[in-house]
Amino acid sequence: MRSLFDMPFEEPEPERLEPESPAPRRRILTVSELTGKVRMLLEDRFTDVWVEGELSNCRVWNTGHMYFTLKDGGAQIRGVMFRSAVRTLRFKAQDGLRVVARGRLTVYDAKGEYQILCEHLEPEGLGALQLAFDQLKRRLSSEGLFDERRKRRLPALPRKIGVVTSLEGAAVRDIIQVLRRRYPNAHIVIRPTRVQGEGAALDIARAMAAIGKVAGIDVVIVGRGGGSIEDLWAFNEEVTARAIAGCPVPTISAVGHETDVTIADFVADLRAPTPSAAAEMVVARRDDFCARLDQLAHRVNATMLTRLHRCESRLRTLEARSGYTGVRGRMAMRGRYVADLAHALGRAVRARMAARERSYQTMRLSLETFDLRRRLARIRSRLIEVDGRLSVASAQTRHRADRQLRSAAARLEALSPLAVLGRGYAVCWNAERTAIIRDAAAVAAGDRVRVTLARGELACEVKKS
Amino acid sequence: MDPTIKDFEAAIAELESIVKKLEEGDLPLETSLQLYERGVQLSRFCHARLEEAERRIEILNERGQLRPAPEAFGEDDETKSKVKS
Repeated sequence: MRSLFDMPFEEPEPERLEPESPAPRRRILTVSELTGKVRMLLEDRFTDVWVEGELSNCRVWNTGHMYFTLKDGGAQIRGVMFRSAVRTLRFKAQDGLRVVARGRLTVYDAKGEYQILCEHLEPEGLGALQLAFDQLKRRLSSEGLFDERRKRRLPALPRKIGVVTSLEGAAVRDIIQVLRRRYPNAHIVIRPTRVQGEGAALDIARAMAAIGKVAGIDVVIVGRGGGSIEDLWAFNEEVTARAIAGCPVPTISAVGHETDVTIADFVADLRAPTPSAAAEMVVARRDDFCARLDQLAHRVNATMLTRLHRCESRLRTLEARSGYTGVRGRMAMRGRYVADLAHALGRAVRARMAARERSYQTMRLSLETFDLRRRLARIRSRLIEVDGRLSVASAQTRHRADRQLRSAAARLEALSPLAVLGRGYAVCWNAERTAIIRDAAAVAAGDRVRVTLARGELACEVKKS
Repeated sequence: MDPTIKDFEAAIAELESIVKKLEEGDLPLETSLQLYERGVQLSRFCHARLEEAERRIEILNERGQLRPAPEAFGEDDETKSKVKS
């Protein structure tokens, strides 16, 4: 074709296909043949076009296919949308609506019309979706489904973590990766579901119901990776929202990216900006608790360690100034009574030491079996070492006491007046038995004295002194 | 497990109060030993709960059955690189 700009410079050339011009080989086409050629040309050339315009004559036939005309100020084109594509429409296509259509061109032979075979239709500016979104949000909100007091806290320690998403998407991998890194022994249960396309919302709802029934699941992450608003639409549908609200355990929604907000986000107990972030949230509370537990266990042990040290030093004191030395000296002079006393004391000391040893034993057992992680191993080994020293110390003390007792008893035996009397000696007392007579000058003839023998006693009178 | 311990969070809270008591007052040895033993018990419970979960990934299928996830889901980059090194 010629350009308009050529006109001032050249006279238009005569058309080459003038009827009168001789055609050496005249080829006559039938209408069908020509239409077929045109169709091939168009179908070949316009396989994927986007066109915008205003809808008119829009009708859905009872076959389910939709026919319409798309027009702007200067032209119009016929369009058809087959049933399968019509079903994916989320808004009602009406005359007067400005839309963007995507499809390929074809020719309707019977009418000699070219038309667009529309695969996708969207309102300009996505106004219809926004409208649907706002309507549902308002409705669920008025039912109280978004109320703050409905929100549950995440468990500190989920036994099993439920994940509802597609197995094909990036979300499931992101979630697993974060959990593996931050919570290596996590038990994850994935309920695969389609997350976009026809029937996805219903699929998600069914998945939520199924995972809610698995024993031991304490939290559920539901979501998908990023995508267009169309891709994320299943999370804006009522059936999805209600299934999330009805989940028996706390839920985290994780749909798309930071900026994507869906109805699911409002209804879930917690909204995560991304699937990875959802996994982080699950782990965060666990980490907090782990740190607190470690710290508490450390403090308990440190306190008990101090306590043990104190006991140890008290035991040392006891060992150092135990009254044995004094007891030994006094024993020689005070006879059997003292011996008995000393014996009782020894027994008491031994009992006390045994009791103490038992408490140490208990303590040592607890400490030994107290399984803290590596960071506490050092403290434990110190404890065991101290404990070892304590056991040795108390054993030594007991030994010494035994030895001392035995030797005291032997010496007591040797010093006992009864033993001396047994060898034939006698003790001479004054009549009142208040003093032992050691000097003959202490008595005069006629005085009465008493004499103690090994067995029995004599009352005597001094004949001569 | 121990019927006197409600759950992980309750155990942590009780452990906290025990630590406070032990640290604050100069309790008789007998009492502090009892507290200590309770503390050990609580701490053990918590650790058991922490270790309880198994490293496992399962798929809940359409029939409601739990099946181990395919290998591809069980391994992340980190473990892979660990195996390599």
